[in-house]
Amino acid sequence: MDFVNRTRIAGLLLLLVVAMLVNVPTFSQEGVGRQDSPTDFSGEWIVRNNEDPGQPPLGDYTGIPFNDAGRQRAETTAESIWGTPEYQCRPHSAPHQWRGVGGARFIKEIDPLTRELTAYHVQFWRSLDRPIYLDGRPHPPAWAPHSWTGFSTGKWEGNTLVVTTTHLKDGYLKRSGPQTSDMYTMTEYITRHDSLLTIFMIVDDPIYLTEPFIQSTTYQLDPSSQIRLEPCTTSFDENGGSDPHAVPHYLPGKNTFLTEWLERDNWVPAVAARGGAETTYPEYRSRPNAPPIAPLSRTAVAADRKIAGQSPNDGEVHVLPVQGNVYMLVADGSNATVSVGPDGVLLVDTGSARMTDKVQAAVKQLVATVMGPAPNNCMGLNCPRIPYGWSSPFMNTIIGSPAPAKPLRYVINTSASPDHTGGNEKIAASGFFPRGGGTGAVADVGQTASVIAHENVLNRMSAPTGKQAPAPAGAWPTDTYHRSFYKLSEYFNGEPIIVYHTPAAHTDGDSIVLFRHSEVISAGNIFSTVSYPAIDLEKGGSVQGIIDGLNQILDLAVAEYRSQGGTWIVPGHGRLSDTADVASYRNMVVMIRDRVQDMIKNGRTLEQVKAARPTMDFDGRYGSNTGPWTTDMFVEAVYRSLKEKK
Amino acid sequence: MIRRILVLAIAGTLVAGTAVYAHHSFGATYNSKEQIKVEGKLVQFVFRNPHSFVYIEAPDPAGVTQRWAIEWSGAAALGGQGVNRDTLRVGDYVIVTGRPSRSPGEYRVQMLTLKRPADGLTWGNRTGEVVD
Repeated sequence: MDFVNRTRIAGLLLLLVVAMLVNVPTFSQEGVGRQDSPTDFSGEWIVRNNEDPGQPPLGDYTGIPFNDAGRQRAETTAESIWGTPEYQCRPHSAPHQWRGVGGARFIKEIDPLTRELTAYHVQFWRSLDRPIYLDGRPHPPAWAPHSWTGFSTGKWEGNTLVVTTTHLKDGYLKRSGPQTSDMYTMTEYITRHDSLLTIFMIVDDPIYLTEPFIQSTTYQLDPSSQIRLEPCTTSFDENGGSDPHAVPHYLPGKNTFLTEWLERDNWVPAVAARGGAETTYPEYRSRPNAPPIAPLSRTAVAADRKIAGQSPNDGEVHVLPVQGNVYMLVADGSNATVSVGPDGVLLVDTGSARMTDKVQAAVKQLVATVMGPAPNNCMGLNCPRIPYGWSSPFMNTIIGSPAPAKPLRYVINTSASPDHTGGNEKIAASGFFPRGGGTGAVADVGQTASVIAHENVLNRMSAPTGKQAPAPAGAWPTDTYHRSFYKLSEYFNGEPIIVYHTPAAHTDGDSIVLFRHSEVISAGNIFSTVSYPAIDLEKGGSVQGIIDGLNQILDLAVAEYRSQGGTWIVPGHGRLSDTADVASYRNMVVMIRDRVQDMIKNGRTLEQVKAARPTMDFDGRYGSNTGPWTTDMFVEAVYRSLKEKK
Repeated sequence: MIRRILVLAIAGTLVAGTAVYAHHSFGATYNSKEQIKVEGKLVQFVFRNPHSFVYIEAPDPAGVTQRWAIEWSGAAALGGQGVNRDTLRVGDYVIVTGRPSRSPGEYRVQMLTLKRPADGLTWGNRTGEVVD
């Protein structure tokens, strides 16, 4: 090797050493983990600006791609609805939340082991914590409850976080009237530019909008700001008067305040103030009377399918843990409520007859899961709650065979409807309720579960001696009550269970069931999130009874915080709900009742009432032209119920 | 879509300022073109944030006694104006003027002025004494 080559090799070695030295700190400082967050949003932010010059005046729908239903819903909404007990502590609705006063706080949730960013949490002055999950988890099923913040997942597109939010409660697009249904979804694009944060929001509401509603808000980083607490105390009398259940609203066409703002802003054409997809385009300003531009049809997704998904007719039973001992069974279009615990099983409603085997299998699986042997986490003689034994209790927990689960003790029927009593006979027969006492049970007594219902349920299902009964005797209630409520004689699975009669509602035999420690109410057919309430006039139902029953639920239920959660309400059909959902449903029924009542007062016939479409702004959400309970049937039931009331 | 986003983005950067919103809109709740007077016995005083309420039993236009809900400023604002939780007592006879609710059939009022004849207490006539 000559000198030149030795020099070259030495030079290369030197270069290699230098390169290694340079790279060592790189490895030790940056690690080898992947970069999960292209940018960092964490910190305190204050609102910098948005498109709105301030709070929109009453009746200003410019730039809102309303359909007719959305417009009517806005026009009939009274702002003093915020004075009702169920509304006072609500946070801003999600579309407005970014614009609420008080700024926003982003907090990172980091996996302590992998250091991966698993979620952002966003907080506002008047809101709950809003998680945005980045760990790839799926969105909940359609029968899961909705919340003010919804369920958000995010993914990065470059430096922009794209957030998809579902499971939102009904609320408002903007202040002063424009409403959303609870079927809307949001897509947000959150981008950081140095100390500025831009949030583009796209709201898709298949019920009230023909196109997406888009708005943007810009925030500025402000480490010196802090999210304050907004306290809220509910008053039951904010709207005055003596009716604690009053629902403020305007009858269609009777809101005379909608054009008041145009007296001041008279440069705005009245037709533009009505909103509509065409008013969202810049060209509209120069051509307000031009034909509408073809909609993008983004929101033309099948709302019907989304709604039906809350109560799927898929031949399956889906189990949703609710709270405490209580679970919701979504059983091919009907819901049942189950309490599972050390005392056995209590089932509120048994579903339709065709689903009986699957309901039983689901309950059996649930019992095995809930009451199965718990893993042994304690060793030694002093472990708490050990089984009896003279040798090592620790050994007993391993080699001992667990006691069989207690059987089905109670069935409670919320009405006599076949979709809630169809499984009675077979399911009750699988249970056992100790009645005989002494040394042996009397024949035919105590051989089945106790089936509890209002006595009118028994009247509807049975028949006098010698007459043909609508349902087999084995399906009949064994224990009925006839007063306003019925208490189970002892705690069941550690809690009081009380059955309340809701007179003349869906039928004349309706009950709601309160699990007083688990804080769950099983509502039966007076509440559905997938249809208008079914009112069976021939069996003693009435629209006022539905409203009274919903108000009874609201009186019993307590929201956990900010008017959501707390007492959970299992509807007869549809998704799990809370007080806010029941309040919205009650409001809808009250508004329709008042509209029909007003038409009756003005001498309208049933056909005229139907033609006037008093349900128009709710039909996209609850209406149906087919199936066992159509909009037409509902309107007729409301009309007759009011017309024929004593 | 892109076109609209761009328009909104430009507008968003041009329009500055954000209104301080209450949990409901006063302008949408109360009829600013009307003013009514309610006088009667105070039956409840709820001194709190975000807004206080004075409840008065007084007759409606038909002469039927109703429980009127008079919305007042929040405790923080009233505190700065010398009003505290003991300023009003149950049983006080008060005269209130205010804006009525827009919603038909409601007994809800946004307070403009308050007067207690027994000792001459007044509110609403000095600078800053407004409900917002």
